[in-house]
Amino acid sequence: MKYDAAVIGGGPAGLAAAIEAHKNGAKVILIEREARLGGILKQCIHDGFGLVRFGKKLSGPEYAEIFIDEFEKENIESLLLTFVTGIKKTGDGFEISFVNRSGADKIESNTIILATGCRERTAKQVSIHGTRPSGVFTAGTAQNFTNLLGELPVKKCVILGSGDIGLIMARRLTLEGAQVLGVYEAKPTPSGLTRNIHQCLHDYDIPLYLSHTVTKVFGDDRLTAVEISRVDEKMQPIPGTETIVECDGLILSVGLIPENELAESLGVKLDPATKGPSCDGSLMTGIEGVFSCGNALHVNDLVDYVSESGEQAGRAAAHYSAAKRNYISLKAENGLLYMVPQRLDLEADNSAVTVYFRSREELGKCTLKIKCGEKTIVEKKYQFMRPPEMERLTVDFSGADGDITAEIEVTEK
Amino acid sequence: MNLKKLEKELRKKYGSRFTVSESEGVRTVSGESGDWNEIISVCSSAVDKKHGVHVVNDIKFTGAPVPAMRLPSLRDNALDGAQPDVLIIGGGISGASIARELSKWDIDILLVDKESDLAMQASGRNDGEVHPGIDLSKGSLKHKYIIRGNRMYGKVCEELNVPFKRCGQYVCFEQAYLKPVIAIYTLKRKLIDGIDDSVLISGKELKKREPNFNKSFKFAIYNPMAGCVCPYGLTIAYGENAVMNGAKISLNTAVTDMKVENGKIVSVTTNRGIIRPKIVINAAGVFAEDIAKMACDRFYSIHPRRGTNSILDKKAGGLMSSIASIKKLEFSNSHTKGGGLLNTVHGNILAGPDAVETYEKENFATHRESIQNVFGKQKGTAPALTERDIITYFTGVRAPNFEEDFVIEKGRKTSNLIHCACIQSPGLTTAPAVALDIEKMAVEMLGNVKKKENFNPIRKGVPVLRDMSPEERDALIKQNPDYGEIVCRCEEISKGEIIDALNSPLCVPTVDGIKKRLRPGMGRCQGGFCSPLVTKIIAEHQGIPVSQVRKSGADAVITYGKTKGGESL
Repeated sequence: MKYDAAVIGGGPAGLAAAIEAHKNGAKVILIEREARLGGILKQCIHDGFGLVRFGKKLSGPEYAEIFIDEFEKENIESLLLTFVTGIKKTGDGFEISFVNRSGADKIESNTIILATGCRERTAKQVSIHGTRPSGVFTAGTAQNFTNLLGELPVKKCVILGSGDIGLIMARRLTLEGAQVLGVYEAKPTPSGLTRNIHQCLHDYDIPLYLSHTVTKVFGDDRLTAVEISRVDEKMQPIPGTETIVECDGLILSVGLIPENELAESLGVKLDPATKGPSCDGSLMTGIEGVFSCGNALHVNDLVDYVSESGEQAGRAAAHYSAAKRNYISLKAENGLLYMVPQRLDLEADNSAVTVYFRSREELGKCTLKIKCGEKTIVEKKYQFMRPPEMERLTVDFSGADGDITAEIEVTEK
Repeated sequence: MNLKKLEKELRKKYGSRFTVSESEGVRTVSGESGDWNEIISVCSSAVDKKHGVHVVNDIKFTGAPVPAMRLPSLRDNALDGAQPDVLIIGGGISGASIARELSKWDIDILLVDKESDLAMQASGRNDGEVHPGIDLSKGSLKHKYIIRGNRMYGKVCEELNVPFKRCGQYVCFEQAYLKPVIAIYTLKRKLIDGIDDSVLISGKELKKREPNFNKSFKFAIYNPMAGCVCPYGLTIAYGENAVMNGAKISLNTAVTDMKVENGKIVSVTTNRGIIRPKIVINAAGVFAEDIAKMACDRFYSIHPRRGTNSILDKKAGGLMSSIASIKKLEFSNSHTKGGGLLNTVHGNILAGPDAVETYEKENFATHRESIQNVFGKQKGTAPALTERDIITYFTGVRAPNFEEDFVIEKGRKTSNLIHCACIQSPGLTTAPAVALDIEKMAVEMLGNVKKKENFNPIRKGVPVLRDMSPEERDALIKQNPDYGEIVCRCEEISKGEIIDALNSPLCVPTVDGIKKRLRPGMGRCQGGFCSPLVTKIIAEHQGIPVSQVRKSGADAVITYGKTKGGESL
């Protein structure tokens, strides 16, 4: 039996993609590595999920549950505790090999939706040196220990990086009775959402040190201390500014990397700016029939948009048919860190394309300008723009007939 | 240089700060210095290879407090009164391979190591190269064992079920004019030193074989017998095979003292009781000199030399398939290795190591400069090499003496002692051959021992499911569904494999113990996803709470117990 769409990953993106593809008439199967659906939301027991989508503050598991209930109600097929070992292009679709407790097997599908999420950057990827003691955790791992295993990973810790998970963990660990000595951020501006800076740090008197980083860890068995250095404008440690902070834990929230090893094995080209696949307006990657969504596509800061991109990919996969494409590029230029999608198919309906983008740096009053040659497609004013806060816009591109550029014009720094 | 000349030199250079005396083939250098590198150069200048004397360093280092040997916190009497025929001190590649070879004999073997696992120091912290010996001249022990050791690898790794590949090594040159000199050099190696596998290949041929190498290489020495192995994997496999054949391995066991009477070790004190072995084998790595001293048989000195290696994401593995280094005009400088590049048996590229003298035997900290230094050099070999692909890095400390050669001999003053000391590169390559010689020495020393009838040289490791065909994999999962439950996504390791490792002959139920045996946590996420799962599987298998599982050593706590009112799911 052949499926119309195989969704890889059962987190918020995969669930939304599977439900939407199913509703659009596709025969769908979802493959999830873990024993339960929900992805990383399972361990995100704090609130703040669903404000955009449902207009209320939900916890991660509550948000996931809405989708899981629907997924189950619709009787969509799934394989849980199942690990995809490889995907191969066949004549008119894909062959997916996997293993689970029943054995090694494979299925066939016309399309693939990659909803594989992201992983955390590690200590070594941010050039932390010194010994290799226990007590150094990425924020997600610490969150897993705390919220899923119910185990306290640290008693007195330092957090490196002001990404959202780091901020959330600062509050979470404080509530569990651990002492959070401070959050250190190498950038001159915080990396997390403003609301998290207030609700997780200010409300608990946890200091935030900008332009500082951890350069070394100490301890032969368990971590005993970290070395903190100030950094220059290129984020390089300044010699002579080192101080030692005694602690038993170092929590890292230093960035997320979309997981695209399966995508790459299929030959999907990634956008160096997003580290996710370069996609068209329907979120199809450079490989026909392969779609991408959620944090595998680009790192989101709100789950609401993860679900949205899942739905887009699910819908597109359900209606997929091989066709001649006539691509034009959508380039993020001056002032923009990236823009998704990266290209549009002139043969497709482009009257309502959702674009996601981030600015390269913190900006005051500014204008987003999207142009096709001399023709202006969008001109929209913003009061401010911050890289940690992703922007989303629905754009009518139906007037476009050639390559498109998007840029930010700053009226006030 | 002879003693008179040496004394004169030292006086000229350092005044009366250092003195040297010589007796019974040992030159002892004394004095005081606050500069460790000065001590290294004074002692190195005392080396006299021609007359075979050893240098003992008695210079007091005043520059910094030298840390004492780290000891396990465990205290019990588990070994008290034990009377093994052979006590092996040190669970690195030397000690483990010796234990395995000796386990052919009907004798009691006890191997002790102060760490929580085998291969925790130099043997677990090197690049795993099986050297071809191209840089070794006749006359040294390194040279004596290199060919034999290298040629044994195929068989040993097959018996012990350890991955090994003979991927060949290239020593690359940018200067075409050096080719005649190098041709003579390799010919000399072949005719005089017996290193007979080397051939010169052209830059064009090199480009065909390794297209990502520096385009300006004009030629290379190719050593097809070079290979690589997982160094800690091999050490653990040797240890497990020894245990299968009746040897005992006691981890977290440190030797702290010895009682020597009439030139014989009568007892050995450990943190787990006093042992009375018939003979003692000193394979204590950087601490071999300390053990020799306890045994009243110190005739060499070790000067620790650290080196740092970086490991790259498997995605960068396509950069090269062999072992390679760039060579300039520094052939005589035998031990200042600039490192190289190597594609490991697991498909990661490894870059390094550098070489830095240090007074700290157990400081495994890494330093930013080491990585920069290695990458600066190795980009000359493969220009596309980038620090961005680094997933981790580690430091090891080598255990050379000033003669820069192994010490493999019976005790000079203590009769029931064998030294397998000062083992540095290529000690991994030579270990299988050295172990056979030490086996002979020990059997001779014990006298009147019989071979076991049921010695089993075959060790079957944990099955590696990721390398199997879907059919093989399916069959195994049908037998044991745990093999179908993937725990480590980066390296594709199942729960079944982890449980197998916990049930292996030498169970080390720590997160690092499992990591070294199977690789969960060695991939690009560095354990981010799997470490809570691995911790939980260990806790369940051992019947202990999660908070009692350790990363490695007894104090490497992972969690501090339940959260407020926490119940684990």
